[in-house]
Amino acid sequence: MQAGPHNCMNKLPGKIVALECNSHMSLVDVAVEGDTFTATLLETPEQSPYLKIDQPVTLMFKETEVSLAKNLSGLISLRNRFPVVVQGIERGAIMSAIGLDYRGHSLACVITTRAVDRLQLAIGDQVEALVKANEMVLSYEH
Amino acid sequence: MSIDLAPLVLTFKLAAVTTAILFCIGVPFAWWLANTRFRLKPIVEALVAMPLVLPPSVLGFYLLLAFSPEHWFGHWLDQAIGLRLAFSFEGLVLASVIFSFPFLVHPIQAAFQNLPPSLAEAAAVLGKSRWQTFLRVLLPNIKPALLSGAVLGFAHTVGEFGVVLMIGGNLPNQTRVASIAIYDEVESLNYAAANVYAGTLFVISFVILLVVYLVNRRALK
Amino acid sequence: MIQVNIQRTLHGVQGDFDLNVDLDIVEGEFVALFGPSGVGKTTLLRCLAGLEKPDRGRIAFNGSVWFDAQEHTHVPPQERHVGYMFQDYALFPNMTVRGNLEFARRKGSSRQRVDELLELMDIAELQHRKPNALSGGQKQRVALARALAAEPQLLLLDEPLSSLDPTIRSRLQDEILQLHQRMGISTIMVSHDVGEVYKLAGRVLVMEAGHIVRQGSPAEVFSSGQTTGKFRFTGEVLGIEPMDVMEALTVLVGNQIVRVAAMPDEASNLHVGARVMLVSKAFNPMIIALE
Repeated sequence: MQAGPHNCMNKLPGKIVALECNSHMSLVDVAVEGDTFTATLLETPEQSPYLKIDQPVTLMFKETEVSLAKNLSGLISLRNRFPVVVQGIERGAIMSAIGLDYRGHSLACVITTRAVDRLQLAIGDQVEALVKANEMVLSYEH
Repeated sequence: MSIDLAPLVLTFKLAAVTTAILFCIGVPFAWWLANTRFRLKPIVEALVAMPLVLPPSVLGFYLLLAFSPEHWFGHWLDQAIGLRLAFSFEGLVLASVIFSFPFLVHPIQAAFQNLPPSLAEAAAVLGKSRWQTFLRVLLPNIKPALLSGAVLGFAHTVGEFGVVLMIGGNLPNQTRVASIAIYDEVESLNYAAANVYAGTLFVISFVILLVVYLVNRRALK
Repeated sequence: MIQVNIQRTLHGVQGDFDLNVDLDIVEGEFVALFGPSGVGKTTLLRCLAGLEKPDRGRIAFNGSVWFDAQEHTHVPPQERHVGYMFQDYALFPNMTVRGNLEFARRKGSSRQRVDELLELMDIAELQHRKPNALSGGQKQRVALARALAAEPQLLLLDEPLSSLDPTIRSRLQDEILQLHQRMGISTIMVSHDVGEVYKLAGRVLVMEAGHIVRQGSPAEVFSSGQTTGKFRFTGEVLGIEPMDVMEALTVLVGNQIVRVAAMPDEASNLHVGARVMLVSKAFNPMIIALE
C-alpha cells in the first residue's frame, strides 16, 4: 500500500517464517516479536514473488477486525492470539475505541461499548487480542 | 414614365461575377488562414479585414490611382493585356472582389477553424490526400458557412456605393449600378425612379438573406 | 514487429517534460498504454500514426522505416496503413455510416468488406444514418469499423470506450477482444481503466510523465503490488463525518457511492476531494449471483 503515514490501520513489522501453499492460496506464518502470526492469502508465490521465507513484511489489520478476550480457555479456531495491555478507552454510544500496547507497538481496536462493559475493561488490563487469519493483510517494501 | 432597368441588371451581374471570383479565391484562402502557422498571419489577416473598417472612399481612391493609365500598374495592364480598369466594369469587379473579400473569408475561415482537427487527421490516416480531404470531408461539413460567406459577399457587392463611385463613375451599362443610379436620380429630384431602384434592392436583399437563414436553420437540424 | 525509440518534448500542465519511449511490439500483440492523463500516451499514438513528429529517434514497422530523425525520414500518415480510432471518434458528419466505411476502403479492396464489417459490428441497420443520429456506443462501433475498413497493419485505439456507460462498455470490450482474436492485428490501446486493460491487453505499459515505468502482463502489473489485498478501488472522498469513536467516509467509486468506516487517525489524513484506494481482502465479500 502506498498509503503514507504510519497511523493508518494496525501494523506490525515481521518476517515470513513459513509458507504453505496450494494452487490458489497460501498460508503465511509471520514472526513478530517472537510470536507467530498467520495470514491466509488468495495468492501464490508464483504470482507474488515476495512470498518467500525471510522476506520482511508488514502485517496489517483493520481495527474493527480485532476481538479482545479475558481469561480465554478452551480451543478456538482463531490463529492469531497475542497479549496486549489496554492503554486507553474512548467510549462511544455504540462503539468504543481501545488503545492497546503489544510488546511496545501501539495498536487500536474498535469493539462495541457493551463488550467493553461486559469485559469490564480498564486501563492497564492484560487481555488477549484475536484476529482471524483471513483478515490479515501483508504489505512489503519494494 | 419609363424606368431604365439597366442599373439593376448591372448590379446583379456585378454581384454574381464578383461572388464567383470571390468564392474561387476566398475558400482556399480561408482554409489557408485557418491552418497556417505562417508567422506573418496577423498581418495578412489585418489586411484582409481592412475593408471592414476603412471608409470605402479611401480604398476607392487608392484603386483609382493604381488603375489610372498614368500609374505604373494601370500603365502595365493597358500595355500588356489592353485592360483599362478605371471607369470600366472589369475595374468594378476587381474593386468589389477586394472590398467584399472579408465578408466571404471570415465566416468560412471561422467554420474551418471550428471543425475538429481530428476530421482531417482521420482522413489522412485513411490514406486520403490533402486535396481529397479538402473536397470530400472539409468542404461538405462547412456548407452553411460557404452559403453565408457567398451571400454576404454578394449582398455586400450589391450594396457597395463609395468604391464604385470613386473608380467606376456613372457610365450607363458599364459602371452605373443601382446604388449609383439611386443617388443620381435623387440628385435630379426624380424620386419615383429612385424609389423603384431602392425598393427593388431592398426586397431582393431581404429575400436573399431570408433564404440563407432558412437554409441554415434546416442545415443545423 | 514495431520498434519505437523516440523522444519528444511535451508541454504539460505542470511544465515541459520529455516523452521518452523505447518499445518493441510483436506482431499480433495487444498492448495497453496505461496511466493518468497528460503523460504522453496519446502523443505516442499520434507519433506512431504520423500525425506528430518526434524530436529525435526512430520508428520502424516490419523493417520499413516510418520515422528517422537523423535521416529526416517521415512517412506521412497516408502511407502508414494504420487504423486510428480517435477519442472523439472523428466520424465524418457529412457521410452516412456506410459512407464513412466506403470512404475508408482502400482502392482495390472489395465492396463486400464494408458489408462484412457492418454485419460484424452489428451496425448494418444503421448504415444509412448520419453520425449525428447515433448514440455514443453506436458511434464507437462505427469508428472501430471504419478503422478496420482500411485494412490496417496496426490498430491504434485512443481511449476507445471512455465515454460509454458500463454495460455498453463491457459489451464493446468483448467485441474488441473477439475482433482482435479473429483478425490478429497488432493493437495499441490507450486506457486508464484497469478492468479494461485486464480484459483486453496481453501486455500493459504503465506510463508516467513521458516514461514507461513498468510493464508486463496485466496480472503482473496490477496484482503484484505491495499489498495482498485483492480488491482495490480507487475513489474520491465526498464526505467525512464522525460516527461514534470512528469516522464515516463517503467515497465515490466509479459511479457508486459507498460508506466506509475509518479510524479518526486515518480520516485525519484525508480531506473531501482526496483520492483514496480502498483495499479489501478476497475473503470479505459476500457473493450474490445475479440471474
